[in-house]
Amino acid sequence: MLVGVRRAAWREYAWSLLIVLGSTAADAFLLPHFERANLVMVYLLGVMWAALRLGRGPAIFASVLSVFLFDFLFVPPRFTLGVSDSQYLVTLGVMLAAAILISALGARLKIQVRSARQDARRSRLLASLSGDLVAIQDRDGILAASLRHLQDIFESRAVVLLPDAAGRLSVAAGDASLLGPDAPERGVAQWAFDAGQAAGLGTTTLPESRCLHLPLRGSKGELGILAVAPADIRRLMAPDTFRLLQAFANQTALALERGRLADEAERARIQHETEKLRSALLSSVSHDLRTPLAVITGVTSTLLESEATLSPAERHEMLRTAAEEAARLNRLVGNLLAMTRLESGALELKRSWHSIEELIGAALHRLESLRGDRPVTVDAPPELPLISVDDVLIEQVLFNLLENALKHAPSAQPIQIRARAGAGAVEVSIRDRGPGLAPGTEALIFEKFYRGAAGSSGGVGLGLAICRGIVEAHGGRIRAANAVGGGAEFTITLPVGEDAPRVEAEPSLVPEAREIGDLDGR
Amino acid sequence: MADEKAQEPLILIVEDEVQMLRFLRPALQGHGFRVLEARTGEEGLREAATRAPDVVLLDLGLPDLDGIEVTRRLREWTQVPILVISARGREEDKVAALDAGADDYVTKPFGVRELLARLRVALRRSSRVGDGEASRLTLGELEIDLEKRRVTLAGDAVHLTPIEYRLLAELARNAGKVMTHSQLLRQVWGPAYAHQSHYLRVYMAQLRRKLEADSAQPKHLITEPGVGYRLAES
Repeated sequence: MLVGVRRAAWREYAWSLLIVLGSTAADAFLLPHFERANLVMVYLLGVMWAALRLGRGPAIFASVLSVFLFDFLFVPPRFTLGVSDSQYLVTLGVMLAAAILISALGARLKIQVRSARQDARRSRLLASLSGDLVAIQDRDGILAASLRHLQDIFESRAVVLLPDAAGRLSVAAGDASLLGPDAPERGVAQWAFDAGQAAGLGTTTLPESRCLHLPLRGSKGELGILAVAPADIRRLMAPDTFRLLQAFANQTALALERGRLADEAERARIQHETEKLRSALLSSVSHDLRTPLAVITGVTSTLLESEATLSPAERHEMLRTAAEEAARLNRLVGNLLAMTRLESGALELKRSWHSIEELIGAALHRLESLRGDRPVTVDAPPELPLISVDDVLIEQVLFNLLENALKHAPSAQPIQIRARAGAGAVEVSIRDRGPGLAPGTEALIFEKFYRGAAGSSGGVGLGLAICRGIVEAHGGRIRAANAVGGGAEFTITLPVGEDAPRVEAEPSLVPEAREIGDLDGR
Repeated sequence: MADEKAQEPLILIVEDEVQMLRFLRPALQGHGFRVLEARTGEEGLREAATRAPDVVLLDLGLPDLDGIEVTRRLREWTQVPILVISARGREEDKVAALDAGADDYVTKPFGVRELLARLRVALRRSSRVGDGEASRLTLGELEIDLEKRRVTLAGDAVHLTPIEYRLLAELARNAGKVMTHSQLLRQVWGPAYAHQSHYLRVYMAQLRRKLEADSAQPKHLITEPGVGYRLAES
């Protein structure tokens, strides 16, 4: 700003000259009517005005010029410069004293006005920053808003560096290239962070750095570093501006700390929910594991102790029950395992290209003993594209959905499976002719441990939750609805995946080639 | 069964869990097997060398040696049929064991009927090695004549493309046994195609449409998810 003042100085002297000339013109007009002593007053008025508005230099200039012109133009002998009358020296002295006094007063007033204005601006800027920050919870949002404001207020670009668990800083927001490719700049940041004081450009520590590194101070020590690459370091280091920058850094640190606390609260809440879920799982699982186990124990102990009294038919019936319950137990354990893998994030998709028709076939094959002679129809057009999925997992989804349909639909009614190609996806729907879903439960049934009103038909309420987990892991969707005409319909939509492979037509003899053409065209 | 009684096949069970042995021993003895037991991989390898069993039933989860390693070491010197026992969700173990030379697998928990069916397939295949390949295979209405390269369905000739035929023939030569994706791809398309499993999907779909009554509910060309394909015998 000093530069600005200096550049404008000649203009103020010009103004000062104008004022004196104005006073002279007025005096020339007043001369015939008033005493000379009164004419001096007009000059004094001009000097006071110059002192108030233009500062000391122009005011002194105006005083000297005023006395000179007064003497030259109005004091006889006129149009000569000889100071014949020493009383005008007193006039000059008074004028100079007034100029100096008033200009000092004016300057102080100006400084006060300016600092009041700056205070107002600063609080407005900080208020707008904190207003923005209050609305943001996440770390990246906070940092982005902070850097945006910094750019607006200080016309400087900056980056924020945050420490990892070991206390090593890395760039968390802003353009990392501001720090340059060199390690030293990061070293300065690290030093400022470890020492908890500003360093780098404009400070006494490592001033030859590219950036000014300010610690972001939280209530429990440094949270990170704000590294500012200023457009003009001298302006940035002007005491007022620097204080504003400090306040700015504090605001950012405060917001960061608040965000972190919110995160911790959220983590604690999730932990609590997980605990709740785990105990729900435990009670649910132990109930559902015990039922088949009770049957198996009962049957086998009966056979052990009273084998002789049982008819062969009774014995066979009991053993069949035990075998069925054991199979149920096995499915249950399988679902529990799948759920654990889904939850722990240990699920790794082994994708390759598969035909959905083939996976439907595999699920039906595995369901054979459970299904008995229940009619199942599959409608899958041959032109369905291959999809990029994990076959074992998708077969599990189809198996669970079909098992669910078998469980809820009356035994004579058919289960209908339909596969269709959509936009970049394949859609499979499984429809049963059972009682359908209770209204409002279409989304709930995919929640863990949810049991339908029919309830105790076995299962922990995990089967559909697993379906959803697997389908969503594939980037697909699953939904349930009541079908028109009764029964429930489950639909999964699986994206085809990118870069579908091509299988070139088989080079073969003519009749066989025609056959392939027939297949493709069907 | 009558000729089996004269010389009952000797089965070597390599399994460390006593409960499993308590179920397997009587079940297999009751169905015409002589049973030999080993509790560790090393013991299994020793027994296989000294007693020359007709078939090996090998659990993949052994305390000392990896079951896949046992398979590999057995295959260094013997073609004895190996049936591995594995768990669901461990498909890559099954594939590794099969690619290392195991003949087939059963998934825990399994019923005795399934186990016996797999064992019979394995035994029949090994007895076949001596007197050449069976050239004809009848599966319900489907008949495959490998010598004449003819496939008929309910007496009508089925026209297959050369690749379709090679794929079906490969499965037929290993009827009842699971074939991994890479085994089929190598045999039918060549080693360069070992990972191009989409070829397999497309051609299996074509075969099913020509040979199955309902291609979505196949009776013959069975998919084993994550492992491969099997031509079912029943």
